Amino acid sequence: MRKTWVAVMATACLALSACGSGDGGSTAVKDTVADKGLPIVGETVKYDPNTLVNDGEPINLEWWMWDGDETFGQFAEAYEEIHPNVDIQIVNQPWDDYWTKLPLQLQSDDGPALYNVHNSHHENLITYMEPYDIPVDELAADYAGVEAHVIDGKVYYIDFGMMTGLIFYNTAMWEAAGLTDADIPETWDEFRDVAKKLTIRDGNSFTQAGFNFNSQFKEFSLGLPYQQGQHLMAADQATPDLDNQAMLDTINLFTGFYDVDQVGSKDFGPVAADSFGQGQTAMIYNWGHFGGTLGTNFPEIEYGTFRTPVPEAGVEPYAHDRYNGESTLGINAKASDAQKAVAQDFLRFYLTNADLMKDLSLHYSVFPMYQPLADDPDVLAHPVLSALGDITKYVWPGPIPATFETSIDTMWQDILYNGVAPETALATAQKTVETDLSSTDFVGVENLYAGYSSK
Amino acid sequence: MLTPKRPEMTAHGGAALIARTPARRVYKGERSLRMSVVVGIVVLNVLLLVIPIGIAFVGSFHQWNPLNGTFNYLGLDNYTQLLGDARFWTATANTGIFGVVVITLRVALGLALAYAVWSKMTRFKTFFRTLFYMPTVTPLVAVAYVWKLMYHPQVGAINSIFGFDVNWLFDSQFALPAIMLMTVWKDFGYAVILFLAGLYSLPEDALEAAGVDGASAWQRFRLIVLPLLRPMMLFVVVTSIISYLQAFVQVMVLTKGGPGTSTSIISYLVYEEAFVKYNFGYASAIAFVLLILTALLTLVSFKMSGGRKLFGKGA
Repeated sequence: MRKTWVAVMATACLALSACGSGDGGSTAVKDTVADKGLPIVGETVKYDPNTLVNDGEPINLEWWMWDGDETFGQFAEAYEEIHPNVDIQIVNQPWDDYWTKLPLQLQSDDGPALYNVHNSHHENLITYMEPYDIPVDELAADYAGVEAHVIDGKVYYIDFGMMTGLIFYNTAMWEAAGLTDADIPETWDEFRDVAKKLTIRDGNSFTQAGFNFNSQFKEFSLGLPYQQGQHLMAADQATPDLDNQAMLDTINLFTGFYDVDQVGSKDFGPVAADSFGQGQTAMIYNWGHFGGTLGTNFPEIEYGTFRTPVPEAGVEPYAHDRYNGESTLGINAKASDAQKAVAQDFLRFYLTNADLMKDLSLHYSVFPMYQPLADDPDVLAHPVLSALGDITKYVWPGPIPATFETSIDTMWQDILYNGVAPETALATAQKTVETDLSSTDFVGVENLYAGYSSK
Repeated sequence: MLTPKRPEMTAHGGAALIARTPARRVYKGERSLRMSVVVGIVVLNVLLLVIPIGIAFVGSFHQWNPLNGTFNYLGLDNYTQLLGDARFWTATANTGIFGVVVITLRVALGLALAYAVWSKMTRFKTFFRTLFYMPTVTPLVAVAYVWKLMYHPQVGAINSIFGFDVNWLFDSQFALPAIMLMTVWKDFGYAVILFLAGLYSLPEDALEAAGVDGASAWQRFRLIVLPLLRPMMLFVVVTSIISYLQAFVQVMVLTKGGPGTSTSIISYLVYEEAFVKYNFGYASAIAFVLLILTALLTLVSFKMSGGRKLFGKGA
């Protein structure tokens, strides 16, 4: 009996020790050489590697993320090479868990010193974030879009890249339809004609949809009203403004593709992105990240991209579309002073490393906000980024709460599948978003758009 | 040494009524082992169930987001908002339809198949028991993803095999029935096994007496078997009510409450409010209404089936 108890206790101890964090695996060693003989890098924000961080004493930092540990890990490895006394341990959490675990962990005294941020979770994270120890004007000189992230003269995260919507097309289907690069449409009318040519029917059913937007509703609906100068928020930046003519026009434009032009169907390929990947659909609207999805999940699909069409040929719209930023890392306000000091140093390294920042941007198919990379040949040749054109013609509405997206999705499903009139569905969406926003502190930043004009 | 008395089987129903056992010797260490097990379970339930429920109850009167520390008193606002929320009423109606249909089919199918397997004419009983129970032990998430593929309008097995042209999960006429069908398939085996257990515990003499008296198969089933299975049926119905009012995974995987809100059920609404919109106070209010609804329905089922009589006063 005693042997059994001993065995049970030993097993429990082993299991518990396996769960413990500890720093038994730390690679940090004392650093005594401040002058590494390395150049100071950066444009306006500079990084000087020839210093001792944490006085050269070993220190560990955890860096939480939900994805891309290899890409982000390159920053950590490069930094550890310069500062061998620092060990940055990357912890990858699945997206769905990340946004509940991270805020709760940051509330405790045991949260990660560094963590990746997505601005859609701004409201749950901002309380626990340490401001960047870099003058805002210096950051703004090097990175686009910084002003939208300034809170009481400080920034807690900025964007390393911008992502927006565009049209993806299947190049094999494009060629089979006798289309060439000269046929890439500029306007929605031209787009309609191209979509018709790409549509293949067998009697009443589709063999190939020319254009499919099923289950991609929020992506275009929250962006295309900008083409007509319509914002998502009223001038006070606190009241949602979805129930308007521009949104209705967008709904009618897209329902017209199915009902009038018959280039696709609500019942053919219920998820447009999957249908495109499975080779059933010739064109879809999606955001830049879809390039990565295609590479990972549907590598056999060859695709091209072009900028989202506009209402009138030769007339520059108010804006082309909505964009969202991929955020830089956050620093835990509750980390120890030593960890925060190293985290701030690492942040400078991260923001000034042009090569790794380029890799990161290309990996996520986002246009780099780091100004020295704006004209980089690799960026301009990227299959997704090359289609965007002038990136100043995109609007960021701010970290919009999830209710915008969920309500728009529900609205579209009601219109397409439940036979609800667009006006009624739109009014319902407006009401739902109004109700949900009333319990948040969200304030939009559309008024920071360079060409902003309030309706 | 005293021998513990075996529990007696009741003549009606086959449910085991635990008879009061006479005093018997308490083995060394038994009392402390018993106490530590019971105390452990009670402590765990208090920590993981009672306290969180209490916190959620308090939270239901607040604008509450534990992720950023928001906790502002609202009084009954969440409950009054809920009563005027069309999404809540749609979800309640969907939950009711889902529960009634799935429980009915689960009980009917479970009982029919159990009776068939129990029959003396049926061979390969173990094979059938295993076959019927297999979906029950398969993870629901995995089953739901497979059925999602099967329901695909272009490449799905259902349309391909039966020659249908239906967009199952995106047509509001078919989406909820499609989820219900998957759920019945997944869960009927549980009812089969329980009903089989009930059938095997039926008193042979009552069945033989019915045969001697010339009762037909249908009479034997309706007048003898069914009444004796009432306790088991009540158990299946009550546990089904509890689990189906909380059904979530199948909706999450198959439709996410769509198209529109046509498959939104209460637990999915709770999830959406809490973990998508971070409106934990409102989600808690909805969850409490669900809790009350579950308790009421359980009580009604119990009363209607004469639960106290069936399970004794302690029930």
